[in-house]
This record gives sequence, structure tokens and C-alpha cells, in this order.
Amino acid sequence: MRRWASPVLQGLVLAAAVVLIVLLPRFTSEFRLGQFTYVGIYFIALLGLNILTGYNGQISLGHAAFMAIGGYTAAILILGQKGFELAGHDPAQVIPEHGMRALFTIPIAGLVTGVIGYLFGLPALRLAAVSLALATLAVAVSFPALAKRFEHLTGGGGGLSLPLPHAPFGWDISTPHWLYYEAWVTAAILFVVAWLLVRGRVGRAWRAIRDGEIAAVSSGVSPAVYKTLAFGISAAYAGVAGALFAIQVSYINPDTFPVTLSILLLASVVIGGLSSLSGVIVGALVLEFLPIYAQAPPVLHLNFAKQAGPVVFGFVLMVIVLLVPGGMASLIRRITRPLTAALARKA
Amino acid sequence: MNRALLALAAVLAALAVSIPGAFGRTLETATPTATPGVTSSSITIGGTFPLSGPASLYAPIPRGMEAYFNWINSRKGPDGRKGIRGRQIVWKYYDDGYNPAQTVQLTNKLILEDKIFADVGSLGTEHNQAIRPLLNDRKIPQILVATGASYWGLQHKQYPWTIGWQPDYIAEGRAYGLWITKNAANAKIAVFYQNDDYGKDYLRGLKIGLGAKKSLIVSEQSYEATDTSYASQLARQKASGANTWVLLSIPTPTVRALATAKALNWKPDTIVINSVSAIDSVMAAVASRAGPEYVNGAISSGYLKNNNNPKYSNDPIVRRYQALLAQYGPSGADSKNGFYFYGFAKAYDVVKLLYNAGKNPTRASLIKATQSMNWVNPYMIKGIKVKTSKTDHFPISQLKLARYGNGTFSEFGPLIKGR
Amino acid sequence: MALPLAVVWSQVAQQVTSGLAAGAIYASLALALVLIYQTTNVVNFAQGEMATFTTYIAWTIMNHGVAYWPAFVLTLLIAFGGGVTVERVLIRPVEHRPELVIVILTIGMLIAINGLTGWIWGPEVKAFDSPFPNRSVIVGGVAISIQDIGTFCVCLGTVVVLWLFFRFTTLGLAMRSVAFNPDASRLMGVRVGWMLALGWGFAAALGAVAGMMAAPTVFLDPDMMLVILIYAFAAAVLGGIDSPVGAVVGGLLLGVVINLLGSYVDFVGQELRLPTALAVLLLVLVIRPRGLFGRVVVRRV
Repeated sequence: MRRWASPVLQGLVLAAAVVLIVLLPRFTSEFRLGQFTYVGIYFIALLGLNILTGYNGQISLGHAAFMAIGGYTAAILILGQKGFELAGHDPAQVIPEHGMRALFTIPIAGLVTGVIGYLFGLPALRLAAVSLALATLAVAVSFPALAKRFEHLTGGGGGLSLPLPHAPFGWDISTPHWLYYEAWVTAAILFVVAWLLVRGRVGRAWRAIRDGEIAAVSSGVSPAVYKTLAFGISAAYAGVAGALFAIQVSYINPDTFPVTLSILLLASVVIGGLSSLSGVIVGALVLEFLPIYAQAPPVLHLNFAKQAGPVVFGFVLMVIVLLVPGGMASLIRRITRPLTAALARKA
Repeated sequence: MNRALLALAAVLAALAVSIPGAFGRTLETATPTATPGVTSSSITIGGTFPLSGPASLYAPIPRGMEAYFNWINSRKGPDGRKGIRGRQIVWKYYDDGYNPAQTVQLTNKLILEDKIFADVGSLGTEHNQAIRPLLNDRKIPQILVATGASYWGLQHKQYPWTIGWQPDYIAEGRAYGLWITKNAANAKIAVFYQNDDYGKDYLRGLKIGLGAKKSLIVSEQSYEATDTSYASQLARQKASGANTWVLLSIPTPTVRALATAKALNWKPDTIVINSVSAIDSVMAAVASRAGPEYVNGAISSGYLKNNNNPKYSNDPIVRRYQALLAQYGPSGADSKNGFYFYGFAKAYDVVKLLYNAGKNPTRASLIKATQSMNWVNPYMIKGIKVKTSKTDHFPISQLKLARYGNGTFSEFGPLIKGR
Repeated sequence: MALPLAVVWSQVAQQVTSGLAAGAIYASLALALVLIYQTTNVVNFAQGEMATFTTYIAWTIMNHGVAYWPAFVLTLLIAFGGGVTVERVLIRPVEHRPELVIVILTIGMLIAINGLTGWIWGPEVKAFDSPFPNRSVIVGGVAISIQDIGTFCVCLGTVVVLWLFFRFTTLGLAMRSVAFNPDASRLMGVRVGWMLALGWGFAAALGAVAGMMAAPTVFLDPDMMLVILIYAFAAAVLGGIDSPVGAVVGGLLLGVVINLLGSYVDFVGQELRLPTALAVLLLVLVIRPRGLFGRVVVRRV
């Protein structure tokens, strides 16, 4: 499918986006920069969820739990047994004795979560869409109770405080800047990986399964292999996002990744546009900023009640589903297409 | 597609090159000459509270504080000037939805955008725990936090910029334990607690208070936020033959538990309800569903005057609270809601501390002021002193037991020293 | 793991009884889910929030001095109207889109209605009246509250009424035929669109019953149905998402199993009741994807 006018233009837009992301810190305050770091983190989680739901047609209402697994993995590795003891916890024996540099825990968190997600994908193979939605929701709902029960690993309900983040290797860069680049460089790498996956053989297999499993089988694609693979990769993305989140917040407890986050993640993917990698950025922006601006819209000078955030979020989601099936990505495409067509004609 | 890839590679290279460009900027506080949040005409403080979501019943607290600060800003103080020594209090508070990750993000907003002088009265145990390292690292006072966990006082050495306020859960639990040993030496106690630090702190305090009589506890059952029915736990508590029931649960579970006990036909002789849930609206809900016998005579504790008790209906402070809330509070604020009163009591101590921080308050002078608190807060029960020292970091450690009857709690017995 | 020696028969019976009481509530909401699934092939994630919202409406009506049963009936009517409206306005336009899209639409409803409830009625817990006294009768050392018996009877009564409706009325037959084969029904002159809307209306009314039965024990709170919905889901999927009997059996089974697990299996305790129940559920699903009573699903090519 060639949705955009030309690959050159596509590259240009991407380049513009990258330049914007790189230059953003020069124009924003430290706090705004923090918000855009969260956008980067959500971007990664949504990329993963879109691979699963958008490209492979498997629904997940449990991605916050996968983020939590990544977050806890990172937190445990950063603290080590020594860190647990310092904070007054009794650490489990499986925890390494000494803490690790935060940066290195990110890929490990992704790997661990990916493996867990892959294993979860095995029984999930047997579930129809509805049951899968329920099963993943069940994981999200159960996670806090499990995290509390295994206190030696998670610090229980009180959670784990991490050392405040700093730039590693003695780099002379402010902490918010470091966290921003850490999140976005990771996001860029994972974006490229997702892009290559989706464009390639694997992506074709995923889409074939999504659009009709039996037809896919008859053309030689094994749903079992590719569906579990999608689950594993998607979970790994969530795990990386969770690790970055834990490092950014420098605190983690069972309430940090509530069930509502799982639901909002899925909603954001749809708002951005299913099976659209570029839509993910819109989803991430919506997830970070909509709840804030719904309470006090910037232009309208209205001051809604604090409860307005979720209400607006829900309505936006419904409107998108009803009126703009392809999400914001398709809306943008629809607006820009005449423009790009005109450009192409001129050239 | 290849060209797009090429373009991408090019931008990634550009990215790699341009990052060092950003290194040069060191944004982090270039040694401020003045104290952040303090100008000649204003002093900015802030906090985080659950204004939406399940814990938003606490939302009146910051609004009550706001009403009190508004009044302080408009009245002439003892020095003949409005506000704090002529500085207007600017009070910023945000909704964290009771999610610690949001608390961290919004506290960063308070620090970086609003440039607060101090974080004041933020609500929630885990939530304050999450922001404690970052506030202490920046040497920003985190004072009079709205949680009864014991860490704030106990871990002063590690986190000297943090201080609590209300009597801690351990102290309160201990008071119940002491009361039971004195008044019901042969009690058989069942404890129903929330399975987290809050519930467990209470349980620990209760056991300390019971001391050698710890064995009086015949049943300990916990609940999770995801439980929709407590019948399973309570059936076991009933079967244990307990006659004294200690509820260490937050409001909604407390109401549910009492109604479930009624459905199981279990009526312990003595019911103890922790102060977090000892709210008149909670008791009214229980009375209507489980029956008045489940609330009348219930034991709890308090340190603030109960503004709904007829005993205080002519108390000048309660009267003034009602008038000030009507004038400076949000429109339609119900003065019967004890959380507004809590907000006033807290704000009273905040104002005291800001005064005591001196003519030119600094963050260090504010913390110094928190270490020599010694006054009577008129919103509190008579005899209670707000007191701290270099070695005592628990501002309020006295409380009184209270008994429910005639639609509200009435304090009784002597003042109990919590620590 | 060992069973404690002191397994007293009356205590086991007490656990089972209170499990049945909780299960009856899961069952009635599960029934609403099944009803919608049967007629429209949609799983409605907003079912719980719709129930909560209508229960608040009932509370408001009663607060204006209306007696319980008139308020009950009025609420059912409002819920029914609401359900029909939701189907006509929101679900109709996406009827032929993939299942995923419809699920996401109902998730949007879940978010919006939950927020709206908190916005309108505030977070404070509210007592909700019950038509049944909150006393209990004692049978062989087991306390059974009349409230629980009432809830149980209402739940069973609803199943019977539904069954009679679908079995013996023309409208019921029409609705069943639409669920079974919409195209053929259309040719037979059944107004398919309206049948689907009616299905939503009935489900919303059923949800309202579940909410009003649950509220006296769990108390009114904007989030009261959030977890109950999960149990109801589990019950419906366990029973087979298209089987009303399955939903009821699934709900009751779930209520009892959770209580017994929490009381008699030490490793599970009170903390891991929900995760364990859900893990068991997953296991059942993996072995038997269509649930206990469900029909074999024929997959579309």
C-alpha cells in the first residue's frame, strides 16, 4: 500500500519530525521537557501495542501490566540487594547483589518483559478476541495484588524509591535533558525496528493473519508462530517503556501502573490510528496532554471540573471511532494528500 | 523506500551530532540569589491532592486551606500587615488522581514552573514517599504531609527536609490497644485491615498497645482493593468468636464490612473504627444499612475538634470556621464536611510556620521553624499541643478517644500521648 | 497448601452461601453481557458503568421521595430507553465494522460514563436502599441474610423471565432469529435494526437490576461496578459467552470458588483470590475455549 505521495516526501516528513524532536529542548522549559519525555515513553509503549493490535489484530487491555514488569525489572536491577537493604526492605535472593547503571537496565527490562509476553502469548493463541481482551484485562487487574504479595521482589505496596536519575559516564548534561534524549533515542531506535518489521515479511504475515487467519494458513503462514512473536515483541516494547517510566519517576509501586492506564493505552492507539506507525505520535501526545487540557481548555477560558478529563477522553475516543475510522493519522493524511498531490504535480 | 531509509539514516546521524550541542546548556538552577517562591509581595507554596477519582473525597482539604489562606491574605495580621508579614500567600495545588507517578510529574511542575517555596500538606503515603527523594535532593521543604505513616518522623536523619503532621497510625493503633487492655481485659479481638503499609502500621501499633496481651487477637483478616465482597473474611472472623472488632480500613470498605457483618448476623460487643474512616457520612451510611447498633458506641479517636458535635456549636473557632468558609471557600462548600475543617487546621499551622520562618524566609529557616514548633492550634481538642524539637519530629502526637452516638463522635477520656 | 484440620462443616457452608450471594450479582451482570452478545455479537465493556449510572439515577429518584418499587420500575424504563438510544446512536454506525472497533467504542463509553458519574454525583460513598430487610435467618448454624436471598431470587427470576420471553413470545423469537441469522430474518420481514436496539435496551435494564441489587451491599460509589464487571466477564466467558444459563452458573461458581480458595488454601489467602480465580479461568478457557455451556464457534473465513 502506498499511502503517501512518495517515499522522498515520507523521508522528509520523518526528517522534519526528528529535527523537531532534537531541537525541542532549546525552546521549552524544563518542566515541558519532562512532559515530552513522557510523550516519548508513551510513544514506545504505543508502538508495541500497535504492532499487536493494529497490525496483528490481537487486543490487549493489559499493557500497563507489561509496563509494570519492565519498570520493576529496571528498579530491581538498579537497586540490587544493597539498595533494597538501604531502603529498609528485605530483598529476595534472586536479586543481584549490586545495583546496575540505570541505562543498562532498559534493554534487560525489554528482554525480560518480552519473554514473559511471549509465554503469555502461547495460551492466548487459543483465545478468541473477546476472551483475549478479558484475559489481558485480568492480568492488568491482578498485577497489583501479585506485586504486593511478592514483597521481597517489589517492596510491596510501599513500592521502591530509586536513586534520582543523573546523566551517566560523567556527561555534562542536565538531568531533564538526559532523560529526554534517553527516551527519544530509544524511541527512534525502536521506531526504526518497528518500521522494518512491519514493512518486511513478518509484517506481511501479521497483517495476513489479522485479515483472515484461515486464508493466511492456506498461504503458508503459521498463525501460532507469528501471533506469539507479536505478543513477545509488543510486550518487550511495553517493558522498555516501563523501565524508562520507572527511571523518570524514580519511584515505582503497584499504583503507578493502574488498570486505567491499560485502557487509556488502547484508546490512544485507536485515536492515533490502528496500523499506522506515524499515528502513534499523535496517540502519545493525546495520552499525555488531553487529560491536562480537558480540565482547563487553553483557548476557551473555561474551567471544567477535575472529573472532565476522563469524560473528554472517552468522548474523543468515541468520536474518532465513529467518524474517523483510521484515527488521527488518516485525518492528517486526508488533509495533506491534496497538498502532496499538488506538490507532486508541480514537480 | 531505500531513499527514505537513507534520509532516515541521515537524520539519525544529524541527531547524534546535534546532541552534544545540547550538552552545553546547563539549565539546572544557576545558583539563585533569592529564595525561590519568595518575593517582596508574595510567597508561593503548593501541594498535590486527589481531586478526581476514588480518593477524591479528600478534595475539600486543599480547598479548605485555600479559604484560610484567602482570609489570611485579606486580613491585617498582628503586625498590621496583610498576608504573612506583608507577603500574599499564593497556593497552588494539583490533582494527582491518587497515582504516585502523577504526583511526581506534578511536583516537578510545582518546582520548575510554579517555583514553589515549599511543598505543603500533599496527600497520600506512597505519594509523599515518591516525591520525598526529589524534594530533599533539591533541599525543598516537604512539610505537614497529609498522611499518618510513621516514616516522616522516624526517617528524619535520611530526609531532613520532610516532616509530618497528624498523629501517626502506629500511635493511633497503640491508643486502641491500650484502651482495650484497660477496659476489656478479656476481649477476643478480630482485626480487619487493608493489606498495605497503612493497614499494617495500624496493626503494628495495636499490638504495641496491647503489649503482653497481644494474644487477645484471635483473628487477623485483610482485604484488597479488588475485593467486591468481604463475606469470606468476615465469616471467619465471626467463627473465631471475637467480641471486639477493630476495623483498620478506608471509608468505603469500612461501610461494606459493617453491612456485611450485619448480613452474617455478627454483632461484636465493641467496634473500633480507625480515624480515617470515622467520618459522620460514613457512619450515617452504616446506620442506614446495617442499623444504628453497629455505629452507636463505636470507638475511634481524634485530635481535631469535631465541628459537627453540639459541644462545639458555640465554640468561637468553629463559628469562625463556618463564617470564613462561607466567605472565602468555594461556592456551595458544606461546612459540615470535616475535611474543610481539617484544611483549616492544617492551614493554621502552615501560616504559623511561615511567620516563624522569619522576615526573609529561606527554605532552611522554614525547616528550622518546623523543628521548634510549640503552640496550641485552636482547631484542635483542648490540651493538645503542636510540638517539635531537634529530636522530636512528630508535630502532633496526642489524641483523644471518641465514641459515636447521636449522629456524631464525642471525645472522652484523658489525652493520650502517642509516643 | 494443606487444609487446616479444623474444617468445620457449618463454616464451609457459610463460605458457600456468601459465595452464592456474591455470585448472584456477578451472574446478573454477566447475563446482561450475554444478552447483548447474543443479539448483537458485541461485548459491551461499558455494561458495568451503565449499570452504575442507572443505579445512581435510581438513588436520585428515591432521594426525591419516590418509594422503592416505583423507583425501581422507573429506573428500568430509563435504563431501557438509554440502552436503545446507545445502540441507535453509537453502535448502529459501526455495526459492520470489525469486532475490535466495537469493543473499543464500548471502552470509550466506559471511560466517559465512569467520569460522568463521578462528576455528577461526587466520590462520597452513598447508602442505597434495598427492598429486602438486612436481617438474617439462621439455618443449621449458617447465617443467611434475607437481602442475599432476595438478590438471589431476583437474579434467578430474571433468568426465568428472560427464558420465557425468548421462548414463548413473538418478539423473543424475532430477536433470537436475528441473532442466529440476520439476513434470513430480514427477508422474513423482521425489523432487524430494532431487534438489535431492543437487545441493548433489555441488557441495560438487566444491568440496572444488577446495579440495584449490588448497591445495598457494595454501596454506591462511581467505581462500584469496575471490578464486578471483571467478575461478570469471567463468569460469562466461563459459562460460554453466548449462553444465559452458562452466565448464571459461571457467576455462582466463581463466587463460591473465590470464597473457598481464600479461606482454605493458605498460599492463596485473601490476597491472591482474584489472581487465582482468573488464572483458573484462563486454564478453563485454554482447555475449552467456548466455555462450559457455549456453542462451538464457527470461524469466518
